[in-house]
Amino acid sequence: MKRKIIAGFMAFLLLAVLAACDSAGTTPSVPDAPDAPDAVELIIWHDKEDAVAAELQAELDKLNPEIIVSLEKKHGLTEALKMSGNDPRAAPDMYFFAHDKLGVYAEMGLLAPVTDFVDAVTLDGFLPMTISAATYKGEVYQLPIYFETLLFMYNRAFMSDEDVPATTEDLYAYMQEVTKDGFYGFLEQHSEAYFSAGWIHGFGGEMISSDGVPQLNSEKTIAALNYHLKFVRLMIGESDYATTNTLFREGMAASTIGGPWLVPAVREAGIDLGLSEMPVVNETGLPLAPFSGVQGLHVLKVAADNADKNAAIGKVLNQLCNTDIGVSMAQASGSAPAFEECYELDTVQGDDMVMLMRKVAEDAVPMPSIPEMDVMWNAVNNMLVDVNMRRVDVEEAANKAQARAEELIAAMR
Amino acid sequence: MWKLKTDKCVLRSWLCLSPSLLIIGLIIVFPMIYTAYISLTNMNIYNWFDFEIIGLVNYGRALLVFDSGFLHALSVTFLWTAANMILQLVIAFVMASLLNVGKLRLRRVYKTILMFPWAMPGYVSILLWRNGMFNSQFGLLNQWLDRLGFDPVRWLADDVTAFISCLAVNLWLALPFMIMIIDGALQSVDKSYYESALIDGAGWFDRSVKLTIPAIRPIIGPAVIITLFTTFKQFDVIYLLTQQVGAKTGANIHTVLTYTYETAFVTSNYGYSSAISMCIFALLMGLTLLVKTKQRRRNA
Repeated sequence: MKRKIIAGFMAFLLLAVLAACDSAGTTPSVPDAPDAPDAVELIIWHDKEDAVAAELQAELDKLNPEIIVSLEKKHGLTEALKMSGNDPRAAPDMYFFAHDKLGVYAEMGLLAPVTDFVDAVTLDGFLPMTISAATYKGEVYQLPIYFETLLFMYNRAFMSDEDVPATTEDLYAYMQEVTKDGFYGFLEQHSEAYFSAGWIHGFGGEMISSDGVPQLNSEKTIAALNYHLKFVRLMIGESDYATTNTLFREGMAASTIGGPWLVPAVREAGIDLGLSEMPVVNETGLPLAPFSGVQGLHVLKVAADNADKNAAIGKVLNQLCNTDIGVSMAQASGSAPAFEECYELDTVQGDDMVMLMRKVAEDAVPMPSIPEMDVMWNAVNNMLVDVNMRRVDVEEAANKAQARAEELIAAMR
Repeated sequence: MWKLKTDKCVLRSWLCLSPSLLIIGLIIVFPMIYTAYISLTNMNIYNWFDFEIIGLVNYGRALLVFDSGFLHALSVTFLWTAANMILQLVIAFVMASLLNVGKLRLRRVYKTILMFPWAMPGYVSILLWRNGMFNSQFGLLNQWLDRLGFDPVRWLADDVTAFISCLAVNLWLALPFMIMIIDGALQSVDKSYYESALIDGAGWFDRSVKLTIPAIRPIIGPAVIITLFTTFKQFDVIYLLTQQVGAKTGANIHTVLTYTYETAFVTSNYGYSSAISMCIFALLMGLTLLVKTKQRRRNA
């Protein structure tokens, strides 16, 4: 009897496994019943904070009941898109994400240009930097909503507004003066490509050219690395996010370079935070120019090709081309709106951080969205570690990194 | 009649086994076969959905990864595996022996505490060690050094100290399993052997070497082999402690897997990466066969 029960249970398990396999493949991506009989349902994947998603949802709910948009928070969004981006049963209709992956997805054939839905006059209303970031091989693949970049941040308890260094040499002199006994004049994630990019751009260099050729051993990059090194020697050895930001939050560093995401935590720690433009490199006359990241909506090709959804997608995108949503989402994310008209509003003009971010963004360099950039992070990080932490000769490290980057790019094909 | 009964028995056995076989097939065998298939294609971001079979081209390119850097990583991997196994076996044996001391009180409490590292998610444990113990500014080790009047040490910056630090973390994570296995094995040894040995005047060392170890060897053998290969293909401890993107420490220690991750897997070229995975798989299979053959010879 016992055996029969076990055999029966095993047969049930087997059927359950088979049934699970079947249902996994056929689960519709839109599970809820529509509110109206002919409503179009759209799914947007995102990985944003709840506050940002809530603002987006509230704006898109205005299209209800004609169009019902569901936001789905997706962890590992980039990999999930690779796996299911062209499967109409599993892919979302749109996704909300930074612009830097759009080259990869465009090459994979996953994206439809937003110009199929939004006219050129409307797109002219966005800051040129954001449209430039959203463009890959001449096509605009993202509707920009807001952008972020790094800012110079300082603790007013140690550095007054008047003492904020205007040039990198001023900053260096300040660091020499105050850095001692576990206190730092200036800290940054010195061996992280995203943070060090500002120094390379400040010397007129770049990590990779627009046609995908690494520029790690160019004269300008080498000059930037050599110059940056003297600053690194006055910073803590570690270069990770936790250590750098904790030291600033704990009042053990007078200044840092950080993104808007750092601001709430710093203010919560009771620090009288000052924000400023980036110092200008004395040698070149150019300011440190960090990367900027533009967040926005992308349309999946499988959805654009769906005749039932095409018009609804257009309405969703056009619904987001207004000042209200630009401001509310930028405020929720602590970033700056991409829609130019927003900057005429008093609420935006009164927000120092947003206005500063817009100013810094004039010099900032949008993160390259070409697929080759995917492997550059690795090559540049290794080069920075070699130079800043392992004290390898700069030229030797740059040549090694250049060769590695070229190998990795060749290996992508 | 007897044949019918046997057939029924066989059928029932297969029915009982089928869910497990199906799950193993889905999560182990299918990915292996699929990886082998992808390794023969040009699947990369430029041919993501329209990839084609290109034969052994990826294997030819994969061999280029096996350069001097790979050979260095391979030698580090062997050193890493050997050091871990020796230390794990010695420490776990001593700990398990102590847990089996006759009049030990609160034995179960100690055993429960020793299991804690195993119960914690590896990722959390590793990051706790990284920030809580090894951080040069906030880490406990440097706080102690500071109290004793020494300069702070950047534990994860230098290759040697980073290797030792990784070793310590891996031991912390892996010892509970080995202690549990050896503890179980020790309890299976007939106590009368020890009584006889004691009457013959054997000390702790003699009893351990001549009695305990031969008695538990067949029991702990499979666990040692499992741990050996888990350690060989270790990725998380070394990567998260020293190589994590955005938090590299300056140490240049690579195992086979961290090295191939940095040289191939970041390229999103799945055909090429799959070919490298298959080569590493073949390497591990070769080592498994070698160990199995040696073991069989020893048993014979």
